[in-house]
Parts: sequence; C-alpha cells; structure tokens
Amino acid sequence: MSGVATDRSWRTTAARALCSDYFVLWLCVVYVAAVAPFTPGFASLDNATNILATLLPLFVVALGQTLVLIAGGIDLSITSIIGLCSITGAMVMNDETGWLAHSPLAVPAAIAVMLALGGLVGAFNGVAITRFRMPPFIVTLAAMMAFSGLAVWLTQSKAINQLPAAFNALGGRTAIALGIACAAGVGVHVMLSRSLFGRWLYAIGHNARTAHVSGVPVAGVVISAYVCSGVLAALAAILYTGQTETGSPVLGQRILLDVIGATVIGGTSLFGGKGKVLWTLFGVLFLKLVDNSLNLLNLSIFTLTIVKGAVILLAALLDSLRTRLAGSHA
Amino acid sequence: MNATPSALLLTALRHASLVLFVTIIAVFGALAPKFLTADNAINVLIQSTPTGIVAVGMTFVLLTAGVDLSVGAIMFLSAAIAGKMLAAGQPLPLALGAMLATGLGFGAINAFFITRLRIAPFIVTLALLFVGRGLALTITQTRAMNLPDRFLQLGSARVAGVPLPLVVLGAVLLVAHVVLMRTPFGRQIYALGNHPANARKAGIRTQRILATVYLISGLCAALGGILSLAQLGAVSPKFGEAYEFKAIAAAVLGGTSLFGGRGAVFPGTLLGAVLIQSIESGLVILNADPYLYPVITAAVIFLAVLTDSTRHTLLARLNRRRIRQELPT
Amino acid sequence: MSTAAAVEFDGIGQSFSGVRVLRGVSFTVGASRTLGLVGENGAGKSTLMNILGGNLRSDTGRMILRGQPYAPAHPTDATRAGIGLIHQELNLFSNLTIAENIFLTSFPRARALPWIDQRTLHARTAALLRDVGLELAPDTLVDRLSAGERQLVEIARALSLDARLIIFDEPTTSLSARETGTLFALLRRLQSQGIALIYISHILDHVRQLCHDLVVLRDGAVVAQGPIETFSTPAIVSAMVGRNLTQLYPTRRGAPATEPALEVRGVSQPHIVCDIRFTLRRGEVLGLSGLMGAGRSELARILFGLDPCSRGEILVSGRPLAGANTRRRIERGLAFLTEDRRHEGLCLEASIADNLALASIRSHARTPLKLIDRTGWQRAISTIREAVRLTAKAEDTQPAQTLSGGNQQKVVLGKWLLASPSVLILDEPTRGVDVGAKFELYQLIMDLADRGSGILVISSEIEELIGVCDRILVMSQGEIRGEFSRPEFSSERLLAAALPRESPA
Repeated sequence: MSGVATDRSWRTTAARALCSDYFVLWLCVVYVAAVAPFTPGFASLDNATNILATLLPLFVVALGQTLVLIAGGIDLSITSIIGLCSITGAMVMNDETGWLAHSPLAVPAAIAVMLALGGLVGAFNGVAITRFRMPPFIVTLAAMMAFSGLAVWLTQSKAINQLPAAFNALGGRTAIALGIACAAGVGVHVMLSRSLFGRWLYAIGHNARTAHVSGVPVAGVVISAYVCSGVLAALAAILYTGQTETGSPVLGQRILLDVIGATVIGGTSLFGGKGKVLWTLFGVLFLKLVDNSLNLLNLSIFTLTIVKGAVILLAALLDSLRTRLAGSHA
Repeated sequence: MNATPSALLLTALRHASLVLFVTIIAVFGALAPKFLTADNAINVLIQSTPTGIVAVGMTFVLLTAGVDLSVGAIMFLSAAIAGKMLAAGQPLPLALGAMLATGLGFGAINAFFITRLRIAPFIVTLALLFVGRGLALTITQTRAMNLPDRFLQLGSARVAGVPLPLVVLGAVLLVAHVVLMRTPFGRQIYALGNHPANARKAGIRTQRILATVYLISGLCAALGGILSLAQLGAVSPKFGEAYEFKAIAAAVLGGTSLFGGRGAVFPGTLLGAVLIQSIESGLVILNADPYLYPVITAAVIFLAVLTDSTRHTLLARLNRRRIRQELPT
Repeated sequence: MSTAAAVEFDGIGQSFSGVRVLRGVSFTVGASRTLGLVGENGAGKSTLMNILGGNLRSDTGRMILRGQPYAPAHPTDATRAGIGLIHQELNLFSNLTIAENIFLTSFPRARALPWIDQRTLHARTAALLRDVGLELAPDTLVDRLSAGERQLVEIARALSLDARLIIFDEPTTSLSARETGTLFALLRRLQSQGIALIYISHILDHVRQLCHDLVVLRDGAVVAQGPIETFSTPAIVSAMVGRNLTQLYPTRRGAPATEPALEVRGVSQPHIVCDIRFTLRRGEVLGLSGLMGAGRSELARILFGLDPCSRGEILVSGRPLAGANTRRRIERGLAFLTEDRRHEGLCLEASIADNLALASIRSHARTPLKLIDRTGWQRAISTIREAVRLTAKAEDTQPAQTLSGGNQQKVVLGKWLLASPSVLILDEPTRGVDVGAKFELYQLIMDLADRGSGILVISSEIEELIGVCDRILVMSQGEIRGEFSRPEFSSERLLAAALPRESPA
C-alpha cells in the first residue's frame, strides 16, 4: 500500500512541478548547467548579451501570439507582418529612395506606418475569423502567404538599405530594445491580469458561447487580440529591422516555429483559456538558449530547423501532458 | 419547396467551384485566346496531376477534420533522397520505391504523434514541414540537383496513347473514390469526421482510421512528388514549396469541408486541382510577374475557405429545427 | 424459472479516485422481462450501464449473462454478447444514410471483395425498418430525420446486432407525445418477442406503464427492488430521495406587483414562433409550459437577443429594447439561464470565481484603462457565494467542472444574480439537479421575485411549474395556446393545452 501512496505523491509532485509558473525557468537553469561545460563560450557575458539581444524581438512577437492563443486561436501570419512592415518602413524612411528621405518626420512616420500596417493585417485576420467564421489557422496561413508574397513582389525580392541611424538605434542598441520590450511585456501583463479585456479574453478561450451568452463582446475582443498580435509583430519588425539595419521582405520568415514553440513551451495552451506573460518570457528564454548553444556548436541552419521542429513537438507534447494532469488532479 | 434567398445562395455555394471554374476559364480565355486551345487544356491537365494526387491524400485527412501541412516537405525530402540515389547510380525503380517509402514513413510519424500522443494535427504536421525541409536541404546542400533523363521520360511516356501522368492520376482517383464511397473503411472515415466521440462509441477503431489517413496522405504526397519531378527534371531548394496550400485549396474548392465529414475526391478534388493549375497556367500565358503567384494563390485559398465557412454557417441555419409550418402567403 | 435470467448483477462495486459510486449492486433482469431502473442523478445508473455496456470495468463483483459469466473489455464485446445500448444522446451520423448508420461496423461485404454489397445492405435495412415501423427508404440521409425517427433507427441498429437485451437511457426526453406513443408500441412488440429491456427514466408514469420489475438506486446502492405492482409512486419517490419529502417546493411569501417587468408584443419569427404576446409583472414567477419542440427555448433565445426576430416589440421595465444585442439587453436588466449548462452556462475549466463574475465584471472595471477593482470584485464574489449557498468545500480558484450538477447550476444562477437582473429567464433550471439542490434553487428564484424581479421559468416538468409559478402560459407549435392562473392549475389542463392541433388537411 505504501508503494501506491509514494507513487501517487510522486505523481502529484510531478504534476505540480509541470504546472508551476517557474517550471520552464528551472528547465533553463538545468539546460545551461548541462550544456555549458561542453560548449565553448556559452557561459560568457558577451554571449549573454548576445542572447538578450536576439531574445527581445522574439519575446515581443510571442506576446502577441500569447494573446491570440489564450483566445483559442492561432496567428501564423506574424512572419509576413514582420517582412511587410520591415520593407514598408524602409520604403518610407530610407535615405536613397524613401518617400520622406532626410525629413525629420521620416522615422516617426515610418514607425507609425509600420504599427498601423501590423494592426491592419491583424484586423483582417480577426474579421475573417469572427465575422465569417473561418478557421484561424487557415485564415492566418493564407494571410502569411499573401502578405509575404506581397512584400516580395513590392521589393522584387530586394533588401532596402540606408536606413536612418536614429531608427537603427531602436533595435540595434540593446538597452533601448530592452526598454521597448519591457514596456510591451508589462503592458500585456497588466492587460491580461488586471483588465476587463483580459478577463474577457480568458473567458472566450475557455468557452466562447458561454462568454457570448454572458454579454461578452466576443467578436470585438477576438478582433482586438489579433490586432494586438499584428501591432506587436510590427513592433518586433522595428527591432529586427534596426538590428539588421536593412528592410527585408523575408525578415522573420524563419521565426514562426520559434514563436509558437516558445509560447507553448512556456505553458500557454493551444486549446485556449491559459497563458501568462511570465510563461512566455521563460519559453522564449529556453528556446533562445537551445538556439544559441546549437549555434555555438557550429551546427548548420538546416539542423537547427530540424531541432526546432522537434522542440515544437516537445512543446505540444508538454501542453497535452499538462492538460491531462490538470484534468486528473482537479 | 419555396426558394428562399438563403436556399438560393446555398445552391450557388454548393456549385461554387463550378462557377469559379467557368469564370476563370472565361477571363483567361478573353485575355489570351491561346489559353482556350486543346493543347493548352491537355497541358493544364497534365500539369495539375501532382497537385491532384497530393490533394486526393489531403481530402482523406480533411474528411477527418484534420490537416496535413507536411505534404510539400514530404515531396521535397523524397525527391532529394531519390536524386541522391540516382546520382549514386542506383536503379530507377529502387529510387521510386525509396520515395514512396519516405512518404509512408513521414505519414507514419505524423500518425504516431497525432493518434498516440494526441497532439493537434496542424501543429504536428507544421513541425514536420520544417523537419522535412531541413533534412532535404541538408541532403541537397541547398543546391539544385539535375536528374537523369530516365526520370524525365516517365513524364512523357504514354500508356495506350494516354500520357502516363494522366493514367496515374486516373488510377489514384478511381481507387480513392471506390475506397471512400464503397468500402466500410471509407464510410467510417465520414462517420469519424461527422462526430469523433460518437464514432468511438459506435465501436469504430478511430485511432486506426486516423493513422491510416495520414499514411495515405504521405503516400500520395510522395507519388505527387514523383510526377512533379518527372515534369521538372530537377530538385531545386524550392521543390514542393506551397504544395500544402495548393492541396488544401484544391480539396476545399472541390467542396470538401475543413470541418470534417463532407467532401469527395471525384469530381470535387479533381476539379479543384485543375482550377488551381488553370490559374497558374493562365498567369504564365499572360506573362504576369512570378512574384505575384503566391499572392494570387493565397487569395484563391482564402476565397475557397470563405465559401466553405459560409456554406457551413448557412447549412447550420437552414437545418435549424422548424417548429411551425408557415402557410404560404 | 424455465430459462436463465437475461442478466444478473452480483455485488458490482466501483470507485472513481476514492469515491465509491457503486456499492455491492445485485439484482436480476429476468428472461423476457422489462426492468425499470430509477434513481436521482448521480445515483450510479449510468455507471452501472457503462459497466454492462463494456465502457467501464467494475472494481468488484461479476455479471452473468443468460447463465454465462460475462466480463466485457470493450463496447464491441457487449454488442457481440447481444446487448444493445440506446443512449440518451443519440449516436447517429447525420452525413450518412440510415442503412450506413445501422451497419456502420458490420457492413455486408460482396464475397471476399473489400467493398460493400449494396443490394444486401438495402434489403436488410428495409426489413429492419419494417420491424420498427419506420416507412423510409434505406438511403435517406439521417440529417433529414426527426428526433423520434432517429430513435427508431437506433433501435433498428440494436436489432440488427441481434440484441437480446436492450437498455434505454431516458429515451423520451426529446420525443413528442406522438413519437413517445410510437416508441412504446414498439417496446411492447419487443417485449412480446421475448427481448429483455432495461428502461431508465425519470418519468415514473412511463416506468409504470412499461415495466414488470423495478430497481431503485440511491448513492450507488440498491435501496428497493421488486415487481412494479408492489410500489406506489410516493413510495418510489421516497426510496429515491431517502426521506419523506413533505415539501417539494418552498412556500411563496410575496405577491406580484402591478407594474410590468417585461412586455412582449407580437413577437414573430418565420417557422419558429408566431405573434407571442404576454406581460410579466414585477415580482411575478411566470411559467412557460409545453412539450419538447413547442418553441419555448427558441422564444427565450429571441427575447435575449441570441436568435433573430423579424417582427414584434419587447419592452423591459416599460422601455423598448429596439434591436439591442445580447450585451445591451444584459445592461438593460435581462438575464438568461440557458438549458445547456455545460456549453452555454459555464466555462467548465475556469475557476468558480471567474464564472461567478463573468456577467457583472464590467461593473468592476474602472476607467480609463478598464482595470478591475479587485477588492470590490472579491467582496461581490463572497457575498454571492453565501447567497446561493454554494458548498463550503469548494474554493474560489477551483475549476467549475469539479462541482456537482446542483452546485454548477448555483454558480450559473449566482452569475446572473450578481448582475441584479430585473427580468430573469430560466430554461430548465433544475435539469440534472438532485432533489435537495432543487429546493434551494426554487427558494433562490422566489427570493429574487420577492425583491421585485420578474421571473420567466421554462420547464418540461409540469409539477415543478405548478409548484413554483404564479401564472403559467402554455405554448404549442410556436404559439401561446393557453394561460392559467393559480386556482386553475392542473396537470391535465396544462397538458391538454400543450398537445399540438392536427394541421388542417
């Protein structure tokens, strides 16, 4: 009998650990401890700064994805938003052919256009999903294809250089990028945990019909979530474009799996109703640590893609495991 | 009974693919008379065989309310493996066998994650899309690989005067149609798509059926890869890209629902595949900017899904229980 | 007894995570007999039937089927052993034909070929449909069938599998009176063919009409069994409840005021409802009676703005709603407890507190950022918990799905009470709620009326409406067909008004 009891208590402990807010943070610590001895340069200050710099824009995109996932949707169009916003912003402000080249208004105008464009694509997704009842993954998939195609067509697949230095500093200087990302993180955190919008969002993710009957403006809230996701992707585009100092139509094309993988590993559920900013932060951190260590080990970019495919499967597996544990221990 | 506006709209939506088909042919025909020639028609038909076959596999998956985003990656990976084998001097049949085995293998991995570990199909197949393309790029070292002429001859071979690709497509369609409409397995797929929980309760082995449809999809993807390779004669790093979109679009344009339980490979999916190829061929004839193709394809997919959703919503509304018989006024 | 019993339960016991749901259940269904199985929700009826049907394995005890030991591991084992289960929610596939539904797991094959032998399929289906008295072509899509016709298809499926013992779990809940009559005629025919039946129902009249023997379950144990003639209806009820219910309904203290809370003027929607007119006064409990499918729930959904309404006017506290959406209607003081608690009443995985707050949380949001005033919110939650007498064991953070049916319903009611509605519409508020919690729910509803709200109660249990209402409207075929005030209440009159009229030829 005592065997059964220990088994049960062991399981409860495992379930608690898995469902704890800090599970993924511990996972990060364990990973660093395990990998650092074999990976030259992994545990250095330079590398830490490097990880931080690449982590920030990803975190900003993942924030938007978190909002959408909580509402029970998914946004695959973020990569195309990043590319489209990057070239549009560059078209507005670059010093050669820009519409507002050398104008003092160039940088603010470009930023405004980028954010508005991100919000517009998000609104398009949200309206198609709520008003026309189309499945989110297919709507955002089509949007991904259409808008990244549009970005490539607009530039004829060429990058745009010569961006104003003031703009490049936004993403390029880690301190400024950190400020922007922190502001976005705190904003979304307050929105989720303290505001009416957050309450409504979780309720819709749990059960949209109940929410509707209880007077929650479901369509409006869901559309807002996609708009937020689009705007945050545009914000990430500002950071990425600043980092690379180039407006590129294919910018961000590789981060789709990173974003979904990081968010889901953090603990946000693919089935809606569950998710936190802190979880997403830890998820992004874990993914970037894996990414960075594999890079330092000189693995090819293709191997990295394969590893990321595996990571996302692992994340989804963790998610279904958590859901099952929560169900049996409720 | 009486033709209400919504019933009329529903009839139009039921035949949406036909309406769209005729419109697109008419538009391209008007813009470029060359488009309407018999030669071009046969060309379009032959070119649509890879999409058609991949879409047949996709139809099986969609009928269970799942989705397979990994088909394009399967095409690329199996083609890369075949290219390597042929370059190493292996015989053609062995290379073809390896392609089909790759398709089945990826289908099996999809099936394992979806049925055993209960992960959402679109996540599993999205992950395998990246894994597959990553593997294939590693194999090809991102270089284009030319294939021996033996392979190209497959594309131009004829069986009793009919081009081989069309024969293959016809055979696949026939088998798929009979399986779906006339076998217990096929009917059980429809039951599963209609109501998974009830299907389980009724004693249907739902996990086995789910696993099988992903195997079928993987196999069809590899077969589509062979036909596409036989037309192009080379494996480029872009090989098979966006085929998942084309296949979903073809199936949905042909009336298969993303919500499961409704659709057919014949004539639906075939019509959808030809429609998509017509658009692409029409754009080529019109000399449109190649960078625009994905934008237009995405727009067509969006339209197809919009049609499906509207149909779904309208059907639900029309099927709502009627309480009273209204007297015609 | 000349032949072996149809099935014998011997000491069946079952626990779920430490909670015993069945304890030593033993009884016998005689050959060719019909056994009525009654008990409150949660008494263990469904668990027992799941064990018999192979969906569950019992922890202890054994079953003997026609003299043979029987231990199914899978539903197909039960099917093979000649057991047919007709579930409460029908298990048919609307996109398949009648024939395909019946033979879904046992299609006749053409010799050794993999495909279906269509001719045999049709012939066998036609024969089965004749047996159950359904005059439809075998290739009719199930989509087109009514609830009663679907039930008959389910029975045809059980017969196709040569069932010798058929279990009916609440078969009449979604049937019209006429369809119920057809079903009973068929059951009698099955009885005469020597098929044993287990009939589970809350409607004791039906049990009395059909069954030879009766078993009453309470808290997972058999508390009474024997031939049906030896039980009086009050005796069955007290066996189910475990005490003598002297008072099923609380006494009404207040009386309706004169000013209207809700006025409905000529509301119509084609094919659904026609020219509905009534006034609900403040402090009044108004019942809406009628058979399944009379249009009561549909009317409620129209009043709440969930379904469209083509003509007519709705006034709340004297002001017209004029096309307001559901959210606006809630702000105007409407509240609606839907009949589908799991899908429209609760967020099952969300916490009790979040569920309670859902409809009224907006009032705790402070501008400009719409942040939630947490202390005010917490205070409201604890007040309402007290008011609806939610079980003290439950913590605010616990998911709603962990509560019993009665407590879940209290959460939904609490959610609407927090919005302090002037009109509360309740659709089957006590479905799936045990007798004790029912009394508490009635009390809460009456208290709200006494505070001046108007209450509209939809219920299929006529006794319940008679017990709690000041006035009852009867609907049939989408129209209001009768109005009764307290002195005129009688089940016979209400039922007579509810019966559909034959449509003119």
